[in-house]
Amino acid sequence: MKNAASPQPPRWPRYVLHWFCAPHLVDELEDDLNELFLQRVRTIGERRARHRYVRDALSLLRPSLMKRKPSNQPSIASLHSTMLQNYFKIAWRHLAHNKSFSAINITGLALGLATCLLIGLFILDELSYDRYNAKADRTVRVFFRGSMQGGKINEAHVMPPVAQALKADYPEVEEATRLRTAGAPFVSYGDKTFRDGAIAYADSNLFRVFTLPLLQGDPQTALVRPNTVVITEAMAHKYFGDESPIGKVLTIKSWNASYQVTGVMQEVPANSHFHFDLFISMASLADAKSPSWMTSEFFTYLVLPNGYDYKQLEAKLPQAVEKYIGPQLQVAMGMNMKQFRQSGNSIGLYLQPLTDIHLHANFAYDLTPPGDIRYIYIFGAIAVFMLLIACINFMNLSTAGATKRAREVGIRKVMGSVKSALVNQFLIESTLLTLIALVLAIGLVYLLLPVFNDLAGKALSLSVLKTPWLVPGLVGLTLLVGVLAGSYPAFFLSSFKPVSVLKGGKLTVGARSLGLRSSLVVFQFFISISLMVCTMVVYQQLSYIQNKKLGYNKEQVLVLPETWLLGNKEEVFRNELAQDPRVVNVSVSGFLPAGPSNSNNFFVYPETKSNQLVKTIRYDVDYDYIPVLGMQLGAGRNFSKAYGTDSTGVILNETAAHTLGWDDKALGHTISHTDNEGHKKTYQIIGVVKDFHFRSLHEPISPLVMVLSPNSGTVIAKVKTKDIAGLLASLTQKWNKLSTEAPFTYAFLDERFNDTYRAEQKTGRILSVFAGLTIFVACLGLFGLATFTAEQRTKEIGVRKVLGASVGSIIGLLSREFLKLVLIAILIATPIAWYAMNRWLQDFAYKISIEWWVFVLVGVIAVGIALLTVSFQSIKAALMNPVKSLRAE
Amino acid sequence: MKGTYLGEFEEVVLLAVAIRSGEAYGATVTTEIEQQMGRSVNLGAVHSALHRLEEKGLVRSGMGGMTAERGGRSKRLYSVTATGQRALQEIRQLRNQMWDAIAQTAWT
Repeated sequence: MKNAASPQPPRWPRYVLHWFCAPHLVDELEDDLNELFLQRVRTIGERRARHRYVRDALSLLRPSLMKRKPSNQPSIASLHSTMLQNYFKIAWRHLAHNKSFSAINITGLALGLATCLLIGLFILDELSYDRYNAKADRTVRVFFRGSMQGGKINEAHVMPPVAQALKADYPEVEEATRLRTAGAPFVSYGDKTFRDGAIAYADSNLFRVFTLPLLQGDPQTALVRPNTVVITEAMAHKYFGDESPIGKVLTIKSWNASYQVTGVMQEVPANSHFHFDLFISMASLADAKSPSWMTSEFFTYLVLPNGYDYKQLEAKLPQAVEKYIGPQLQVAMGMNMKQFRQSGNSIGLYLQPLTDIHLHANFAYDLTPPGDIRYIYIFGAIAVFMLLIACINFMNLSTAGATKRAREVGIRKVMGSVKSALVNQFLIESTLLTLIALVLAIGLVYLLLPVFNDLAGKALSLSVLKTPWLVPGLVGLTLLVGVLAGSYPAFFLSSFKPVSVLKGGKLTVGARSLGLRSSLVVFQFFISISLMVCTMVVYQQLSYIQNKKLGYNKEQVLVLPETWLLGNKEEVFRNELAQDPRVVNVSVSGFLPAGPSNSNNFFVYPETKSNQLVKTIRYDVDYDYIPVLGMQLGAGRNFSKAYGTDSTGVILNETAAHTLGWDDKALGHTISHTDNEGHKKTYQIIGVVKDFHFRSLHEPISPLVMVLSPNSGTVIAKVKTKDIAGLLASLTQKWNKLSTEAPFTYAFLDERFNDTYRAEQKTGRILSVFAGLTIFVACLGLFGLATFTAEQRTKEIGVRKVLGASVGSIIGLLSREFLKLVLIAILIATPIAWYAMNRWLQDFAYKISIEWWVFVLVGVIAVGIALLTVSFQSIKAALMNPVKSLRAE
Repeated sequence: MKGTYLGEFEEVVLLAVAIRSGEAYGATVTTEIEQQMGRSVNLGAVHSALHRLEEKGLVRSGMGGMTAERGGRSKRLYSVTATGQRALQEIRQLRNQMWDAIAQTAWT
């Protein structure tokens, strides 16, 4: 180009030209273009000259000018085996020569790959839920959602007649089937009694909806008749051994019922959203024929036609709600659907695809505790980040160590190697490294899988048979990582000019890529610091939940959930328990504020205002319930035997008192409840119990009422002893005296409480492990870089020491630049981590606020770790005798 | 060697190379044609024609003629080969022969 004042042709056509045209022609073409342009500027003016320039340039894009000159140099396509051998040999020598760098790279990559594999297995397992069903893509579940007086209803199960009604009214419903859980009672055959099988009632078309193959029996008829049961293979083996199970009769004594085995099925797959071992025919259950639209206990599934959008059917469901629920609402509440809606309430039936149940459902109660799609995203992100950090280590260390390879590149180029061959060589090298890392990673995964399974509550396995994608996946992953980690160094190293590297002039390559290296280090630490902040916040929130004042005392409360097994001897046992000096107080109630509990939706209205319906939870309790659980009364009194009228008394929680509009003046008012048949019952408020958390802290406290109601089945005992084992031993003894077959089972309330937050604890633990790993891998990289810098500056340090620099000042000199990078990373990570964790906390009704000191603490830890990593090298360098480093000169 | 058939544009390019003998390359040939014919010509068309002519053996090229204008870079100079010359003459002869065959009365 000439001087700036002369007119310039547009630039972009030049790039296009260089992109397309053969290299041996392109200079000439460009010169022609420029010459014509300058000439035309003089003759026809600049504007038209530019126009013509573009036209000419584009006219040059023709095949005859694009043809490459046949090259006599080896191209990518012609990788000679001798050359390949040489590449491998050099790669191996390079790895063996730089042991520390190789170790850092391989360790980092192996950890990254192992994390990726574990998380990959986890995610694939989560995503595979319910997909074993042949009709998975067109099966939906009906659920019930609405709100009443501000109380939210969100239930995965619906009313008994829903399946039949939808099948009858909508032709697009091909099949409708129901499941209803039936607990896990003792099931006997002869003298064999077990209680480890989960039981469900199932409609006869179960096997037409779900792909659950029968090993014996006819899937069409197995569940048609009343009192028939289909059992799993394992159950069959347990009860009948080698005998044929078909036609045998299983007995459930506590129900006074027996069932004939009509089929044996394979186990329900682990990645199913329900797990039952015995399916009893729905015809055996009287409730299944109930016409009531006011109770909902039936999980209902519909099969829709192929290619049918379930939203279409969902749009029609409000009509069904109107048609069926409307009249019953009128009876129960004395208002029609319209009035019901006008007073701010809503109810409706909705559909959710079968394959969404595991990850996208969020119901208070479901067949199995669901997964959470957000954790899939979080763990996926962690896997990617880990791998990225490991790749960055490789890039940083390779480019930092570039000077060592510069001579090799120079010689190779002089001997006739072309750039593409060098790029190939370095890519092969990085892939080789990745391959070694992969072997280590697979070993690691084998070792860690049991631990991870324990942590994640899964049964994953690294078996090629179970996961056919494993081999191609691993090959793909290795290539991807090899290329990802190797591409930048490959292009960087192969671009050296032989003249400058062989002349032995001072190489400035290290400095050139310094900017990029620095930003990569910042990125690594940004990720590590963010993960550390997240982990800390998760742990804080968890400990907040565990230590929050719950409104009741969960310590030293013994729960015996199975006392109904004692039958009429329960009362005897209860009294014996109450007389034990180590037991403070005993209550009998199946309603528990932590862990599995009875739950009873109860619609009440204040006095006579039947349109002010409030949805409450009803707790059936006895006189001792409140003292046993250490709840506080805000006003009024507990139920007491001294008052004869307490069977019509009621105790509200504060939220209920508030929702009903009385707040602290609730005493003496009355509330009423109308049941399904229209019978009305009125209760007088005798007390207000202070709010206590009876559901998980994800949910705000909702209105609750306690009524005095004879109740049995579960004994709750407040104990006061240091000798828990002794107490349990004597209780077991008492139990065994009363019961012949059932074993003594117990739990402590605080254990049940902790179980509620198992998912969060699990996430917290997994998160902390991976956060630790990422920071470890990032530090590995930092360690490598520090080693490299210290090595490069050996002479400088020697000179400085000779001139009188102190050890401290040299350590500072070497550590400063790394610290700067970590500080920048902290600055970037702070707002992002804060935002992310705020989003996570939104999910809890009761949550901590994120404290500033978390960031300071994490920052200090990050700086501390970085400093520790770097100082190891910098102290070594600073302590070195200058004579050693300088004498070579 | 491909057939020696000469297209109309090729003929024009070949003539332009002959005119600019000694300094015939992409840009000058293009300018020459534009000046002679009074219409704009695409550089791409010229280059592609030069390539074809070279393949047919009607022109040959060699590097040379460094000028300051091109930043001291040499350029590919084209010259008409003996075959090219013969081809041009044959065309001219053919034309003349045909012209001669036109009866005077044809124009009246």
